[in-house]
Amino acid sequence: MAEPLVQFRAVHKAFGTYVAVRALDLDIHRGEFMALMGPSGCGKTTTLRMLAGLEQPTSGTITIEGKVMNGVPPHHRDTPLVWQSLALFPFLNVVENVEFGLRMRGIATKARRDRAMLWLDRMQLTGFETRRIDQLSGGQRQRVALARSLVTEPQMLLLDEPLSALDAHLVIRMQGVLTKLQKELGITFVYVTHSQSEAFAMADRVVIMGHGEIEQIGTPQEIFRGPKTRFVAEFVGRNNILSGSVTDGMMTTAQGIVPVLSCDGPMEIVVAADRVALSRDRPAGAAIRAAFLSEEFAGTGIICYFETPDGAEWKAQVTEAQLADLQPETGQDFWLSWDPARVHVIG
Amino acid sequence: MKARAALGWVYLAALFTFVFAPIGASVVFSFNSDRFPTLPLGHFTTDWYARAFSRPEVWEAIGNSLIVAGVTSVVATFIGFATAYTDFRYGFRFKQAYLALALLPPTLPLVILGLAMLAWLSQIGLSGTLTGIIIAHVVLATPFAMAICRLRLSQMDPALEAAAWNLGAGQWTAMRHVILPFCAPAIVSALCLTAAVSFDEFVVAWFVSGLNRTVPVMILEILQGNVDPQINAIGTVVFLTSMSLVIAAQFMIFRRRRHG
Repeated sequence: MAEPLVQFRAVHKAFGTYVAVRALDLDIHRGEFMALMGPSGCGKTTTLRMLAGLEQPTSGTITIEGKVMNGVPPHHRDTPLVWQSLALFPFLNVVENVEFGLRMRGIATKARRDRAMLWLDRMQLTGFETRRIDQLSGGQRQRVALARSLVTEPQMLLLDEPLSALDAHLVIRMQGVLTKLQKELGITFVYVTHSQSEAFAMADRVVIMGHGEIEQIGTPQEIFRGPKTRFVAEFVGRNNILSGSVTDGMMTTAQGIVPVLSCDGPMEIVVAADRVALSRDRPAGAAIRAAFLSEEFAGTGIICYFETPDGAEWKAQVTEAQLADLQPETGQDFWLSWDPARVHVIG
Repeated sequence: MKARAALGWVYLAALFTFVFAPIGASVVFSFNSDRFPTLPLGHFTTDWYARAFSRPEVWEAIGNSLIVAGVTSVVATFIGFATAYTDFRYGFRFKQAYLALALLPPTLPLVILGLAMLAWLSQIGLSGTLTGIIIAHVVLATPFAMAICRLRLSQMDPALEAAAWNLGAGQWTAMRHVILPFCAPAIVSALCLTAAVSFDEFVVAWFVSGLNRTVPVMILEILQGNVDPQINAIGTVVFLTSMSLVIAAQFMIFRRRRHG
């Protein structure tokens, strides 16, 4: 495989006594859409800022295209960032915002204006060039920010939760815009988000971070179906986790004894919410008992929430028809069952 | 509710009357032909203006005031902006103490500040010079400039400056192309306000000025001789100048609220 575009090697970043990123090893390849995902405070934004030179690593090296970038100030890097707040310049109009990067590089007025107009056209913002930023809608601002970052035709684009301020319907549309753009340009996107749906919808590879460390790197599929740690299993949404110890194919847990298809010893298994079946009567096979709490409409179905007698939360994804059949009421007991062949063993 | 609202308006009207009636009276009497400020009024005249502004020492004082106010506003705004930016950009030990010190001068009794300035400026041979008055006024006016610039910077998304670096601007380029344009309304506002502070300031200028009198000092010296309606004429001009500056400063602040 070709040399990675970006390499993090044993990168450490501390703010005073607080360690934001520790022992980070990460390769980012040319042309890939990589998402850095994790809860707030996990170090994903710090990692991105180090890539842009806005923070310097405390130790370790970061190379871009084989060059060590430690100590190189942000303005000598070609790592434009789309900010969470967008950070558009309010005292400049749309086209002046877009051409800012070219102006800083000393491109002549005419040439930079032409290139900025080209990008405005590409972002379907023709006719808006003399508008003030505060006269634009959220989606339009987003596209101005993208045009401003891409106008210098960089090798990679960094994005720091750029969609977090948008309405839900716009988020879906912008996801389409971003993936299409990334494919067309063929450049690397490094996308920081806490949103699983954004990361999984767009990224080729997802990096899950927790407490300053990488928990898992993989395709969305790999991470969704095969979480390597309990942290990932919990963070990646609709998973139910059972921990206990196995003897003779039976696992003893706080929620009950269930059959498993693995060897003896302590272990943790993950049962995805969409692989849990609900019934009022005890089914054969793997099942636990839990009381219904509430339901929530999600894009892909309905998530029902349950509480087991020992206080653990379980989730089961059902269709609308199934929900209508079951008519669950809060406090009612159900059996939650699954196929032991379709669970994932952590570790 | 209605009665309370009406009462509020009455209170407001009374307040403004109380504040502005003396100034209003001074303006009225500056156009009144009588020698003493008594009612009923005599007839309308601009004679007091003509007499006041035919005196060379009045023009000299106005000249001094303009130079002092002009230089003070530029220097105070520069230092005030620099201090506000330091606060915005950097975190350091004793920052709270640094800010408290920077904001301290207007809270000192003016007499004390004036005396201290006199003692200190005569030590370095600047007492009685315009430079001396400028130094004293810069000390007084800088905190106002700093407060205005700090307010503006606090409204700025900190990512804005980093965004400029990210797009290829060095520290100074980012300052010129992003921070200064963003703060422009505050800077103009600070220039106007510090000029007004200097133009009006009497106590410290009186201690420090010596023969180079500014307008407020000259007014007092005329007043000590006798009560002359020329004072009303000069006072009206000073009031209008200061009010114009303050209104200009307010306008900039108001405008920036509207445009975010």
